[in-house]
Order: sequence, then structure tokens, then C-alpha cells
Amino acid sequence: MKQLFYLLFFTISGLAASAQNPSFSPSSFTAEDEVTITIDVTGTGMAGVADAYLWIFSNPDLGGGADGVTNGSWTNSSDAAKLTPAGPNKFTYKFTGTTMFLQTPAQLKSFGFLLKKKDGSAQTSDYKPYFFDPLIFVPSMLRVFPSKVDVDDVVTVNFDNRYAVATNDQRMTPATFTVTMFDDLSNSVGSPVTLPVSKTDLTIWSGSFIPNASFTPAAGRKLFKFRYKINGTVLDLNGSPMTVSTAETEVTFTTMK
Amino acid sequence: MKYFNKTVITLLITTIILSACKPDSFKDLGIERDFLESLNGTWKLTKATQVDEDASKKGFPYQQLDITNLFPYTNFVFTLNVSGGAPTTFTAVPGTSPKIIKLPSGSWTVDDLKYPKNIYLKNGAATDTISLGGYPTGTSTTLKLSKEKKDAVTGKLLISYSYEFAKQ
Repeated sequence: MKQLFYLLFFTISGLAASAQNPSFSPSSFTAEDEVTITIDVTGTGMAGVADAYLWIFSNPDLGGGADGVTNGSWTNSSDAAKLTPAGPNKFTYKFTGTTMFLQTPAQLKSFGFLLKKKDGSAQTSDYKPYFFDPLIFVPSMLRVFPSKVDVDDVVTVNFDNRYAVATNDQRMTPATFTVTMFDDLSNSVGSPVTLPVSKTDLTIWSGSFIPNASFTPAAGRKLFKFRYKINGTVLDLNGSPMTVSTAETEVTFTTMK
Repeated sequence: MKYFNKTVITLLITTIILSACKPDSFKDLGIERDFLESLNGTWKLTKATQVDEDASKKGFPYQQLDITNLFPYTNFVFTLNVSGGAPTTFTAVPGTSPKIIKLPSGSWTVDDLKYPKNIYLKNGAATDTISLGGYPTGTSTTLKLSKEKKDAVTGKLLISYSYEFAKQ
């Protein structure tokens, strides 16, 4: 029994240690905002090192990317890339997108990074992609209102078929939306909830929910993010209705006071 | 001579007109309004609006949403008691409405007794703050309250809620 207790304890502790790694403060930021990355390198090739250096790059896998100005060369990172130790296997680094990559907010969509030794003899794998908040409005098929939400806000999910590109999404008559909730350990919270949507504009269907009224996290945990999709019907070849769903979109909560 | 007469007549008329001018006395402003006393009573929520302050600041579309009928907000009843020109107790009864005020009851204070802007609610160690968006005085009979939500890290205003109440 005692062994089982210790096994459970260390399993849970391990999971807690791996929660949301890396983390960002603030949790959402534009390319013009200063952001602090906190990263735990436990279990990576950098575990146990005293000094870690950041190797950062913009727009991974999107094209139009640039290396961070602090990178230096792979075998000799610059001193400006050195992270600040923040406990065993933990490091932090503060930067602003536009000054780090010397790119405009319009050019900067996302970034990725890894941690390495100064001489490049050890490294973590890539952490990517992490998206900057847009400074211009980008219309999309799925959108939440407000754009940033906390767990006790009224969250309205919107489906705008003007921006649908998949055939089923373009043909779909929306009826419901489904929300899957996750806690800060990325465990799903309760069962997915499906609620109705209604037509609120010529091409827009909307549905609302309040996260902490629909989902209760386990003791000691908190609601961290959710995924949602819109469900509806299209007519098949025989003219019979067939149920279809959009792909899921993920939203991370912003802690507010 | 003709020119002289014209000048004298013009001067005389100007003098008569100017001497007829008298300063108007200010009209009575009436009784000074007691804004704090106007809050006293039981109020029922009639309208709730959610504003995406970040979108508003950036000039994005989709800046606000009337959420009154998305959830049963109109069941929310808020009572503020005033005694002897000072705030005393409050109750917030949501019924089936979302809890727009976290505390069910307790005491309340304001930042300024004469021109209150913020209402501070207290129940033991628990506190909540709500701002006044409009006093229910004069021609307005609507109590307007608002709540702001800021990013916990940056302090940036992200969302605000406006609530309108009718007196019961």
C-alpha cells in the first residue's frame, strides 16, 4: 500500500513538474509586448547544466522567418542569449518579438526556440510554434468573443461560413458546438459539453457558455484551456441530412483580476 | 455740422443701450442631489453588456455584445442599504443568473460619499469592487454598474461588463 502511495505521489509530482512547459508571462502577447519564457529542462539533453543559452527563430514552418539577434553562432552563443537560472533545471528569458527578430509586427506570426550549451554540445529539442497575438484583425471561420477570456467570463464561440474553406464547412448548417476542457496538467476536465448555436448574422452562428459553470476541475487543479468545434448537417447524395463537424480550435485562458 | 450730429446721435444710442445692460442673476440650481441616497433600495438587472476592451483599443470589429438574454441575467437582484447618509449593508441574489457579484451579502462602502464612483463590497475577508456607471437621479431612473477585468500580469484592461438595473 505504501509503495502504491509513493508511486502515485511521484507520478503526480512528475506530471505537475511537466505542466505547461514552457510557460509564458503574460500568457498572451503581441510582437510588441515584452514576454518572459520560463522553461524546465528536466528530462532533456540540457538537464543538470548550469548555464543555458537561447537559440530562437521566428515563423517556424511558415516562411519569412529570421534568427534571433541574440543567437550568435551555433558553436559560440552570444552572452546576450544566456538565460537566467530560476531553480534546478529551470531558466527564464525575457524578450520582445520585434526587437529580437528585427521584423515588423505584420511579419511576425510565431516563434520557436531551443536551449543549448554555449558551444552547442548539448541542446533541447525545438519548442514551437508559439503565436504572437495579432495587431491587426484577422477574420477567421472560428472566433471567440471576447478575444481573451478567463474561466468566469461569458464565452461566445462564433462560426462565420464566409471564411470556410473545406466543403463540408461551407455547406454546413450549424446546430451545436462542442467544448472540451483541459486543466493545467492538460488532462481533460469532465466530459465534452455540447450546446446549441443560433444564427446571429447573415453568415454567422453563435453559441455561449461560462467555463466554470460548465466544468469543474479536480481538486488543486484549474481550468487552463479548451477546444471547441461547430457541429451541423449537410445533405448527402440522397438529400438526407448528414452530421459533420469543423476541425477543433484551442483557446487558452488569460488570468484576469 | 451734419457729420457732428450723426456722431453725437450714434454715441447717445450706444450709451443708452449699454446702460440698459444688467447682469442676470443665476437661477436657483435646486436642492443638491444626494447621489449616495439615490443608490438606496432594491434593484433588478435589466441589461448586461460585455465589451472586448482589447478589440476596442485596437479598433477591431466585434467590440461588444449584449449578453442579457444569453443567460438569465434579469433574475439578478441587488439591494443596497443606506442609513444616516452612509452605506450599510447589501445583498446580491443571483437566482439563476450568473453571479455578477461574488458575495451574497455583507457591508459596503464607497470611495467618495458625495460623488461615489466605486462601490466596495465586503463579507468577512472576501471583497469585491464594482464601479458606478451612472446615478439613478434626475431624469435617469437606471442604476448603471460596471466591472473591469485586467490581465493579472500586465494590468492591461481586457474586458468590461456593464449592467443596468431598474428600481423595484
